[in-house]
Amino acid sequence: MTEDVIAARARALAGALAEAGFARLRVRDRETEIEVRRANHAAPARVAPAPAEPPRTAGERAPGERMADVVASDVVGIVRLARPAIFEGQELDEDRELAYVETLGIRNPVRSRGSGRVVAVFVTEGQPVEYGQALFAIDR
Amino acid sequence: MFKKVLIANRGEIALRINRACHELGIATVAIFSEADRLSLHVRHADEAFCVGPGPVVRSYLNIPNIISAALISGCDAIHPGYGFLAENARFAEIAADHGLVFIGPSPAVINAMGDKATARRLMDEAGIPTTPGSGIVASVDEARSIAEKIGYPVLLKATAGGGGKGMREVHVPGDLATAYATAQAEAEASFKDGRLYVEKLIVNPRHIEVQVLADAHGGVVHLGERDCSVQKPSHQKLIEEAPAAELDPGLRTRLHEIATNATRAVRYTNAGTLEFLVSGDDVYFMEMNTRIQVEHPVTELIYGVDLVKEQIRIAAGEALGFTQDDLHPHGHAIEVRVNAEDPDNNFAPAAGTLSTVVFPGGPGIRVDTHVYGGAVVPPFYDSMLAKIIAVGRTRESAILRMERALGETRIEGVKTTVDFCRELLGEPRFRAGGVGVGWLPEFLARRAQPV
Repeated sequence: MTEDVIAARARALAGALAEAGFARLRVRDRETEIEVRRANHAAPARVAPAPAEPPRTAGERAPGERMADVVASDVVGIVRLARPAIFEGQELDEDRELAYVETLGIRNPVRSRGSGRVVAVFVTEGQPVEYGQALFAIDR
Repeated sequence: MFKKVLIANRGEIALRINRACHELGIATVAIFSEADRLSLHVRHADEAFCVGPGPVVRSYLNIPNIISAALISGCDAIHPGYGFLAENARFAEIAADHGLVFIGPSPAVINAMGDKATARRLMDEAGIPTTPGSGIVASVDEARSIAEKIGYPVLLKATAGGGGKGMREVHVPGDLATAYATAQAEAEASFKDGRLYVEKLIVNPRHIEVQVLADAHGGVVHLGERDCSVQKPSHQKLIEEAPAAELDPGLRTRLHEIATNATRAVRYTNAGTLEFLVSGDDVYFMEMNTRIQVEHPVTELIYGVDLVKEQIRIAAGEALGFTQDDLHPHGHAIEVRVNAEDPDNNFAPAAGTLSTVVFPGGPGIRVDTHVYGGAVVPPFYDSMLAKIIAVGRTRESAILRMERALGETRIEGVKTTVDFCRELLGEPRFRAGGVGVGWLPEFLARRAQPV
C-alpha cells in the first residue's frame, strides 16, 4: 500500500473514531496496521507499517487512554448479527463469532479474534456493508 | 429502461458511463478499491461501495463483492466498461443468474470472440477474410510445419491473448522454438491458457477497426472506421483517429460491409469493434472486441452518436433509433492518450501524486479523464490518465487543434506522453496520413540513436 492509500484509509478510520469517542483506533490486516489517535495533543493521524510498530501490550498504555481493535468486513454484503446479539459493553472471554456478512448467499463469519470487551457496535441487523467497513470495536 | 446501474470499473471510463447514465435519468453505483477511495468516479456516482484493497484481483476483479454491491444497492444492470471484467463471460453469466442485466453481448458471443482461434474459425465460416494460418497447434513441430506451409514471417499468438501478450513474431525458422516457448509461458502466466495458433505475419499493415452497434431486434449498423496504427512496440495504441486517412473509398466500403456481415453472422448484440489489418488492397479480420473501446470518442465526435447511451438502450431491449441511412460522419477526430509513462524509457509506467493538472479546452476539444491536481496515481492500474480528443472539419484542422490543446496541457508530478505525442503529430510522415503499425516502433528506434 502506498502512503497515500494508507492516509486515505486513516482518514476514513478517523470518522469512526470521532463517532465512537475513543482515544485511539487500530486496524490490522495482512499488509498493514493503521492506528488513529484523537488529536487532543494536536498530533496528526499516525500511520505505521506493521513491522515498524508491533502491537502494544495492555501494560504499555498511557494512563486513561483507551485502545480498541476494529473488526472490519472483508466482503461486500448484508450484516447478520449473532444471536443473541452482541451488545456494547459485553465481555468476550474467548474468540467468538460476532456476526456474519452474507454475500451472494454465502455466510462470511466475522470473529472477535480473541477476548476483550465490545466497546462499539457500528452496524445494525440487515445493514449493507462494504469491504473494510468497521463493524465492531473491541477493547483488548 | 434501467433505474440503477452499477459501474464495474474505475478511471475515466467509469466517469464516462456515469455521465451517460445520469443523462438518461439512471441512478449510478460506483465500486472502488481502497487505493481509489478519493477517485473522482466515486464522487460522481450516486452511491459507492469499496470492494477490496488496491490489487485488482481482490477489488476490480472480485466478482462476488461486485455482484453483491449491485444486489444490495438495488441495481438492475451492470456496465463493465473496458478491461477488468468487460470480456469475462463468466461474470456476464453470474450477473444474469442474479437477475442483473450485463450491458454487453451474450456470454456465448463473448466466449466465442474471446477465444481468438474460435473467432477466426467462425469468421472463416462466414466468409470473412482472415490471415492465412492455423487453429490451435498441439506442439512446436506442428507450428513449424504450418509456418513452412504459409511461409515466414509468421506470428505466434495466444488464443486467450490480448494487449500484445503471448504474441511473438518469428522471421526465420531457427527462432521458432524459442518464440514458441516464450509466447506459451507468457500466455500461461497472463491468461492461464498457454494454447497458441500460427498466422501469417503481415508486414507493417495498418490497424483499422470498424465500430458496430446491433440491437436485439436484428438492427445492425456500423459507425465507420477508426485508424489505430500509431501503436507502441507493445502494440498498445497511442493515437487514434476517425475516419482513416488516405483510405481508398472502395476499400472503406468493403471494410464496413465485412464488419456488418460479421456482426450478423455471430448474432452479435450491443456495441462492438471489428479489428482488421489492412495491407494494400487486402483486408484481414484480426479480432472482435466485445466491449466499448478506449478510443470510442473519435467515432462519437464525427457521428454525433453517444455510444455508451446506445449500449445501455440496447441492453434495456430498445431497438436502435436510427438506420444506416441516418448515419453520416462529419469532419475528422483525433485522440491522444495521456499516459503516466516515460516515452524516453520504454514507456515505463509511473505512479505518484499529480502536483499540477491543467487540461485544455476551447472549441472542438473533449477531455475524458478522472484525474485532478493532487490526485494520486496508484501503482496497481493502467497508466492512462486522460484522453484528449480534437475534432475539426478536416484532418489537418483536427491535428492543428490537437497541437494547440497539447500545448495547453500541464501535468506535473509524473512523466507523461503529452510532449511525446505532440512531437509525433509534427512528424511529416504522420502528417501525410496512412502510417502502418511499424511506423512508431521504427520512429522510436531512430530517435534513440545518438545523433
